[in-house]
Amino acid sequence: MKIGMPIIIFAVTALLIAVAMFNPGSATVQSAAPNPSDAPERAINNFLIHVQQRHWNQAYSELANTDDVSENLLAKNFGGSHGSLRVFSSLQNWDFQPLHRNGNEAQVRVTLHWSTPVGVVNDVHDVKVQDDSGNWKVSWPIAPFPEIATQVLPVNYLRWDLVSASSDKEWGQGNLDSPHVRIVSMNAIEYEGNVTVMGEVLNEDTVPAFVNVAATLVGNNGQDLDEESSFDKMAHVLLPKQVSPYRIDFPGIALSRVKSVRMNAKATLVPASADPVIGVMDQKIQSDPQGHAVLVGKLLNQTGEIVNIPHVIASFYDSNGRVVWVSDGYVNRVLFPQAPQSFSIEIPRSIAGKVQSYHVVVNQYSLNAS
Amino acid sequence: MATTASPYSFRPIPLRVILFAAFAVHGPLLFMQLPDSSYDESFHVFFASHYAKHWFNPWNEKWFAGFSQTSYPPLTHQWIAMFSKLIGLDAGYMLVQLIAILLLTVGVYRFAKLWVDERAASYAALASIFIGALSTLVYQAGQLATVASIALFLNALPYFYEWSAEARGRSLIKGLVVSWAAAAAHHVTLIFGVVLFAAPVLWLACIDTKKAENERTLGGVISRAVVFCIIAGIGIAAVLLPYWIELIQHPIRQMPIPHASRSNYLLSLNTALNYIVVPYGALLLALPYVVVKGWTSPRLRPLLFGFWLTFLFGLGGTTPVPHWLLGRAFEVLTFERFAFWAMLLMLPIVGILMTGILDRFRGKGAVGLALAAVLTFAAALGWLNINPNRPTPALDIDPVVEFLNRDNHNQYRYLTLGFGNSLSKVSRYANADSVDGDYNSARLLPELTHYASAQLTNSKFYGAAGMESLRAMLMHANRYGLKYIFVHDPYYEPLLTFSGWREIESYNNGEVTTWSKDDVPPLHPISTDARPAPWEGVLWGILPIGSSFLAILVLLLLPARGGRQSSTEPLAVPFPREEHYIA
Repeated sequence: MKIGMPIIIFAVTALLIAVAMFNPGSATVQSAAPNPSDAPERAINNFLIHVQQRHWNQAYSELANTDDVSENLLAKNFGGSHGSLRVFSSLQNWDFQPLHRNGNEAQVRVTLHWSTPVGVVNDVHDVKVQDDSGNWKVSWPIAPFPEIATQVLPVNYLRWDLVSASSDKEWGQGNLDSPHVRIVSMNAIEYEGNVTVMGEVLNEDTVPAFVNVAATLVGNNGQDLDEESSFDKMAHVLLPKQVSPYRIDFPGIALSRVKSVRMNAKATLVPASADPVIGVMDQKIQSDPQGHAVLVGKLLNQTGEIVNIPHVIASFYDSNGRVVWVSDGYVNRVLFPQAPQSFSIEIPRSIAGKVQSYHVVVNQYSLNAS
Repeated sequence: MATTASPYSFRPIPLRVILFAAFAVHGPLLFMQLPDSSYDESFHVFFASHYAKHWFNPWNEKWFAGFSQTSYPPLTHQWIAMFSKLIGLDAGYMLVQLIAILLLTVGVYRFAKLWVDERAASYAALASIFIGALSTLVYQAGQLATVASIALFLNALPYFYEWSAEARGRSLIKGLVVSWAAAAAHHVTLIFGVVLFAAPVLWLACIDTKKAENERTLGGVISRAVVFCIIAGIGIAAVLLPYWIELIQHPIRQMPIPHASRSNYLLSLNTALNYIVVPYGALLLALPYVVVKGWTSPRLRPLLFGFWLTFLFGLGGTTPVPHWLLGRAFEVLTFERFAFWAMLLMLPIVGILMTGILDRFRGKGAVGLALAAVLTFAAALGWLNINPNRPTPALDIDPVVEFLNRDNHNQYRYLTLGFGNSLSKVSRYANADSVDGDYNSARLLPELTHYASAQLTNSKFYGAAGMESLRAMLMHANRYGLKYIFVHDPYYEPLLTFSGWREIESYNNGEVTTWSKDDVPPLHPISTDARPAPWEGVLWGILPIGSSFLAILVLLLLPARGGRQSSTEPLAVPFPREEHYIA
C-alpha cells in the first residue's frame, strides 16, 4: 500500500488532464468558436479553422471548387496581398445559419468576424457544401484578382504644399487662417434607439483643409447631454470645394430628450494632394442575397500607385434632397492602378425606402503615403 | 577501525553560505538590471516613482485619466521609493528584488526545517536559488511583489507553527507582524498562502501534537491557530484598509482578459515550455520521488497534499481543478505563480532527495546535482532570449518624453500604441497624463473595462476586443483631452488616418511617429468617486511600510531563543548511507 496512494495521485492527475483535453470548456474559458454537429457545418468549420490558422494547404484540401480556385488565390483572398486590409486582419470567429439541405448538397450562411486595424469587419457569405462520397467539402467562390499589365501613367495631379519659414513649427500651429469650411446640411434622426446626426460639410476655401466635425446634444433643460465626433464616418482631408458626408452617433440617447444640436466643424490648413484619384463607377442600389438593400459599385484607381485600404462613404438623400443616412464600408482588397474593384455598402431597411439618390466619397490609406 | 563524525559534506550548509550563494548568483544579474525588460518591472517602478514624489497622496493622474494606487499593495513600491532617494528608482527596484530573493532563501530554509532535518532544509534553501520559476518570475515576469510576499510569508509560517503547536507567545507576535508585512507586499499571495501553505503547517502541528506525549491537545492547537488567523486578519484589514475600501467601492467587474497561463499548456509547445519545462527544470525529474516520499512519510503528507493542489493550480487550464474551485476568479488570476509556489512546497522533500544522493553517490552525486541546478537556472535565463512571447526590447522613449515635456503639451492627455512595457517608462518620465495604463485592476473608464482586453498600447494582441476598446477610446478623445498619440507599430496607422488624426512628427527614422487631433480641448479632471480621502492617503503612507518596520523591530527585539523544540523530530535522510571510516 506504500505506493498505492502515489499511484492514485498520478492517476487522478492524468485523469484531470484528460478531462481538460477532451472537454476544454471544463478547464478554460469557453471559446467563442462554434462546434457544430451537422456534417455540412462541420465541413465549413474545419475549413475556417484552417483559414484562421493560415494553413492554406489544409484549407485548400477542404475545398470542393478547386477547378475555379487555386491555392494561391485562396491564400490571397483570405490572407490578403499587397498590404490590403486583409493582410493585417485576423479571423476571430464565425457564425452559421443553415439555409437549406437537399440530399448531398447544403447551403449555409456564414458570417465571418474579422479583427482588423480599423475595427471589427463582418463578412456574410452564402456557401454551398457538397457531399463527396461521405466527405463534405466547401464550395467557396472567390473572385480572381486583376492581372495588371505593365504600363506608363502620367502624373499630373494637383498638390498643395505648406511652406513655413521655421521647420520647428508644429503641425496646425502656423500663423495662417484656418480654411473656411461650412456644414451645408444637418439632419438628426432616431435610429434603433440612438440619436444619429448626419449631413455634409463643404470646404469653401481655395486650400485643402483637415476637418473634424463634432456635435453636442443639448437636452430639454438646456444641459449638454453628450458630445461625439464623426470619427471614421467622414473624409477628413477636404480639397478645395470638396464635400464630405459625416455621421455622428449618440448611443443610448432618445431623440425626445434632445432640444437642439450644437455643431462644431474644426478645420486646419494642411498640405495635400489630389492623388490618388479614385473614380466611382456603376453605382446602383440593389438587394443582396440576404435581402438587404445595398449600394454597390466599382472603384477605379486612376493613378499609378496601389491604394492599400480604400474606404467608401456614401450619403443618401430623400426626394427633398435631405441627407437621410450616411453609410461607410472598408474594401478588403487593394486598388491596383486602372483595375476596377467592386464595393458594397449596406443601407438600413428602415431608410432604404426613402432613398432617392446618393453621393459616394472615397477615402484611402496607402502604406507609401508620407 | 572506528566510525568518525560526519565529514563536512554530511553537515548542514550554514545559512550564511547559502545567502552568499544567493547573492553571488542573483546579485550580478540584478546589478546588470536584467529585469529591466521584464513585463512588470516598469509597472512597479512607475508606482514607486509616484510614492517617491507623493508619499501620502495615492491618487495618480498619470494613468487612466486618474486612478488610485490604493488598488495595489504598496510595500515593495514604498521601499523602492525610499531607496530611490539614495540610488535611483531602477537600482532601488533591483535592491528590493535582491532583498526579496535573500528573504526567500531564508524563508525556504526555515519552512523546510518544519518538515525535514536541518541538513535537508539547507539543501532545499540552496536549491531554491536555482529553480527556474524564480528566474522566470524575477527576470521575465518582473513579479517583485509576489516574490517578496511569499518570502515574508514563508518566514512567518514557522512562527505560526510554533505558536499553534507549542503556544510560544513570542512566536505569535513575530508571526503576526511578518504576516502583516507579507500582506502589505501582495494580498493575493497571502490569501492563497493561507490555504496552500498554512493549512499543511497547521495539519503538521496537529500531527506533532498528537504524537507528542505532553499536555497539549489538538483542540488547543486549532484554537491557537484560529486566534492567530483572527488577529492576523484584523491586522491585514487595518494595514490595507484603503485597499479594501477601494475594492468594495469598485469591485473588479471588468471583462476578463485572456492570459496564456489559463490555457491548456499541453496544446502548445510554447506554453508547455514556458509554464512547465522551463520553470520546473530538473525538478520535473524529482516529481515521482516527491509524491512517493511525501506519502510514505506520514509527517510529510500535509506537505504532499498542499503541493499536489498547488501543482494542479499551477497547470492553469491543463486540468479543470482551478476552474472548478475558483469559478469566475479563474478568469482574473494568472497561474504561473502557483507553479512557483508548488516548487517551494516540494523543496523540503527535494532536500531529502539531495542529501540522499550526496550520501549515496558522494562526488558524482554532487556533480550531478550541481549540473541539474545550473542547467535549470541557465535554461530559465536562456528562455528569456528565445521565448517567442518575450517582452519587447526597450524602446528609445526619450523623444516622446521630450515632446510631452515641452510647449505645454502636457495640457492634453496622450496615448501610446505598440509600446509594450515601455508605456510605464514614458509615464514615469513624462509630466503628462495618459488614458492608458499598465495595471488592469485599477481601470474604471468604460472604454477600457467593457472589453476583454488589457492595455490600449497592446490593443492588436487582443483581437477584436482590443481594437474595439481602442476605437471607443479614440471616439471619446475630445472628452478626455486625448490629443497626442505615439505610434510604434504601423498596424494602428489606418485607424488613426480614417478617424481624424494626423501624423505631425517622427523619431528615430520613423520608428516612432506622433499623431495629433486638432479639435481636442485641453484635459480636465474626470469626475470620479475613486479618489481616496486624505485620511486614507495618510494611512496608506504609514501602515504598510510601518508593518515592515515593525517586523524588523520585533525580530531584533525578540531574538530566537535556541532551536525549535519540536516534539517530533523532522525526517532524517532515508537513503542507505555508506559508513565512512578512517583507516
